[in-house]
This record gives sequence, C-alpha cells and structure tokens, in this order.
Amino acid sequence: MSERETAEAINEQAMQWIARLDREGRDARLQRELDAWLAGDRRRQGAFLRAEAAWNMLDRASVLEPSSEDASPGLDRRRLLIGGGGLAASVVAAAGGLLTWQALHTVRIDTRKGEIRRVPLNDGSLAVVNTQTRVRVDLQPKLRTVRLDKGEAWFEVAKDRARPFVVAAGDVRVRAVGTAFSVRRLETGAVVQVTEGVVEAWCVGDEAHVIRISHGDQAVVAPTAPPTVAPEGADEIDRKLAWRSGLIILDGDTLAEAASEFNRYNDRQIVIEDPELARLTYVGRFHTNDPEAFVKAVTLTLGARAETTAKAYLIYQG
Amino acid sequence: MNESRARIVAWVGREVLPHEADVRGWLRRSLVSDGEVEDVIQEAYCRLLSLQNTSHIASPRAYFFTAARAVVIDHLRRSRVVRMETVTEIEALNVVLDEPSPERVAAGRRELDRVRRLIAALPDRCRRVFEMRKIEGLPQREIAHQLGVTETIVENDVVKGQRLILKALAEGEEAISRAAGTPERDERARDRRGD
Repeated sequence: MSERETAEAINEQAMQWIARLDREGRDARLQRELDAWLAGDRRRQGAFLRAEAAWNMLDRASVLEPSSEDASPGLDRRRLLIGGGGLAASVVAAAGGLLTWQALHTVRIDTRKGEIRRVPLNDGSLAVVNTQTRVRVDLQPKLRTVRLDKGEAWFEVAKDRARPFVVAAGDVRVRAVGTAFSVRRLETGAVVQVTEGVVEAWCVGDEAHVIRISHGDQAVVAPTAPPTVAPEGADEIDRKLAWRSGLIILDGDTLAEAASEFNRYNDRQIVIEDPELARLTYVGRFHTNDPEAFVKAVTLTLGARAETTAKAYLIYQG
Repeated sequence: MNESRARIVAWVGREVLPHEADVRGWLRRSLVSDGEVEDVIQEAYCRLLSLQNTSHIASPRAYFFTAARAVVIDHLRRSRVVRMETVTEIEALNVVLDEPSPERVAAGRRELDRVRRLIAALPDRCRRVFEMRKIEGLPQREIAHQLGVTETIVENDVVKGQRLILKALAEGEEAISRAAGTPERDERARDRRGD
C-alpha cells in the first residue's frame, strides 16, 4: 500500500457496498469479496458498520406512508418525463396512500413454509416472524397485543411503560415492557426465550402464578404442568433463534432434531431412515432454505447415503 | 450476517447514529483537521464492532463519546505533537456527557420520525426510490422496472440517498428538519452532489 486511502473515499465505497449487497443479495461469493475489502483497513469496518446501521434503520419506514402532500405534483412531472413506467409508479404510490389508521395499528402476518419476515411495527417495535406462523398485532392506546395463532415469532419491544406489550399464545400470556423475546407455540402451551430484559408469563385462569423469565432463559409454559425455566445462556438462545437471520446453527443437536428443524422450512422433507444415525450429533451452520447443503454435509462427513425423491431426502447408513 | 452482528447494527442505528453529530462537534473543537475527524469517526465505529452485547450499556451516547476519545488518545500517542486545546477538550469530555440523555420511553416513535424526515428530505427520484425500497419493500430490480430506468440508475440512487442521509446524520437533527421543511433545499442538495 503506497498511499493512505482518505476517509471520504472509504465512506463512498462503504455506501456502494451497501447498494450492491441490496441489489444482488448477500451470497457467498459477494460475502468473500466484501470480507476481503473490510480486512484491508479498520476504518473500512467502521465506515461499513455506520453505513449499514443507517441503511437498516430506514427499514422502520415500512410502517410509513409514501410522502403524500408533495408527491402528486412530483409524480405528474415524472409521468411526463419517463412515460409508461411512470403510470405504474403513481399507481403504487396511490395504493400506499390508502393505508388508514386501522391498517397502521393492526397488522396480520401469515407466513408460508420457509418464509421469514421482519415486520417493523408502528410503535417502534420489531417483529421477526418465522416459517408457517400466523400472528395478529393490535396496537391500542393503552395496550399492545399480539395473538400468536400458530408458529413462532421474536419481538423487540419499544419501551413504553404506559402501554404493556402482551403476547397471547393459546392460554399462555407473555408480558413485556421494553425487552426482546420469542414465543413458539406448542401443542399445548408455549416456549418463551428471552434475549433482552425480563418478561412475565402466565396461563389464563392462573394469574396468581406469574413467572419471571430473564435474559438468556428459556421457559416452557402450559396449563397442564407447572412452568419450567432453564438458564440456557444468551449464546444458546441466540443460536436457537438463528432463524431470524435465515440460519439453522447446529451445535451437538441430533440428526433427528436437525431434520425436524429443516422440515419446518422446506417442502422436501429430510427423513433419517436409520435410528442409530438419527441419534448421532452434528455441528454446523446452514441456511433454513438449503436442506441440500445439510444432506451433502451429512453424507460426506458421516459416510451416510442419501436418496433424493420429489418429496424427500431419505438418509441411510452408508 | 450473524445474529450478534445484526443486533449491533440495529443498536448502532437506533442508539449511536443520533449522537454522531455531537461527537463530531466535540472532535472539531479538539482536533487538527476535518479529515482527521472522519478517520476518528470510522475507527470509533470499528471499536463498536467488538461488542458482544449491548444490554449493559446504559448510555450509548457516553459509550460512543468514550470510544471516540480512545481513538483520539491513540492518535495523539502516535503523532507526538499534542496541542494544549486537545488535552483540555479531552479532559472536558465529562461535561459533554452530562447533557440530559434523551427520554428512552418514546425512542421507537422518535426513530420513526427521524426516518420519516430523512427520507422526505431526499431529492425527487432518489426519494421515490427510497420510498419504494423501504416503505413498499420492493427490490431494486422491481423499482427499476416500475420507474422505467435501468437497475444501475436505481443502485446509484441508493448510493446518492445514503450519501445525503449520512451527511444529514453527521450534521445533526436540526439540519435534517431544516432540509425537510424547505423543498428548494432539494435542489441545493442536488447541486452539492456535483462537487
């Protein structure tokens, strides 16, 4: 390196990286290229963090309406300038403008298999909704409620002492003021994992027995049995919630557990045909929508044999 | 992106960026050149990357000031030329930190307002691109299609918009609301981009 790069040039490149990653998606090739660039200078890492933070912060805008008052004249002008494409743009803007108060404060989210959705809420909170989940968020002036009909979601709750945030999962209630936690429905009851702060949980009809679940803890709450709280540790909870980044991180999970995890996200199901094989444990990091990578890894490292059909990956002892 | 990094990025956007203008103001009072301010800011952000967890940080504002101060002290040690003013300012850091910290209760609401103002202040097509990307959630390819322009133009608008937004954040909230209040400011912003 002959000459020291200016801070301004670094800022410029960081912004170009953000735009490019947003356009092309973060695949392994691009990630390697980015890592190589970042490794060149500490200042690049700082500039990239800053640009990324500003860019991601704008995701909060998804609860806003497109600018209304001054958009119409602007749109007319653009329509003249760019012809056919402009019409589509104005239609989109008009549809966006129809968002009413109700639409802003009540949100229904229904995810398909394999879909993971980040939904910023109008109170400043964030919901990340996992595969095959149905939730309804209702932000009232005195109370914020989320009904989790099925599936799993993680919430980062904006602090507002005057407006508690309550998740209803069947008979289970989880209350937070400003904190971050996930709730996953079970056949009966729910699993609660806390990533920040403290939440309270109880069952409907048993309001005398409220349990407190803290940062790093996992609790199982159900009307049929006394609640259990286990201190899993923050890292372990983060690992279990890796789906928020579209990942499955295995760390000593059995192949059977891993398979059922992948099967939550994909139509083509992984079936471990051999019970002995199913009990083996595995360590690795995979994308939720890439069961094939897991199957390949297992066949390569454990000497197993895989058969791929239209509906399943069948895994046998090699 | 792993989860702890995602958390740091969100935390920086929510809790640190809003204080960047103040840190810059403090640095300008104590440092030699504007060029060096930018270096210090980048290195201070880089220090935040080593955080595993942010829940123990009661005042992100103070934390960021302290990170910037550590970078300045590092620079001072290397340069060997220490200006008296710098030393005074560094020692005066505690005074800066005593300013009332913003009320946390309405943090989410405030952040939303900030985002609204930042996007509203962008010049015409650039603002439209940001609205379609961030409010309507359309991918860049779809935005290009709907606006009848190439994907490269949209990607360039994303860079331009970031440049203006980061500049607004660097100058502070007041500059943002001023920019949002006067439409002709858009034109000036566009002119400035040329240099």
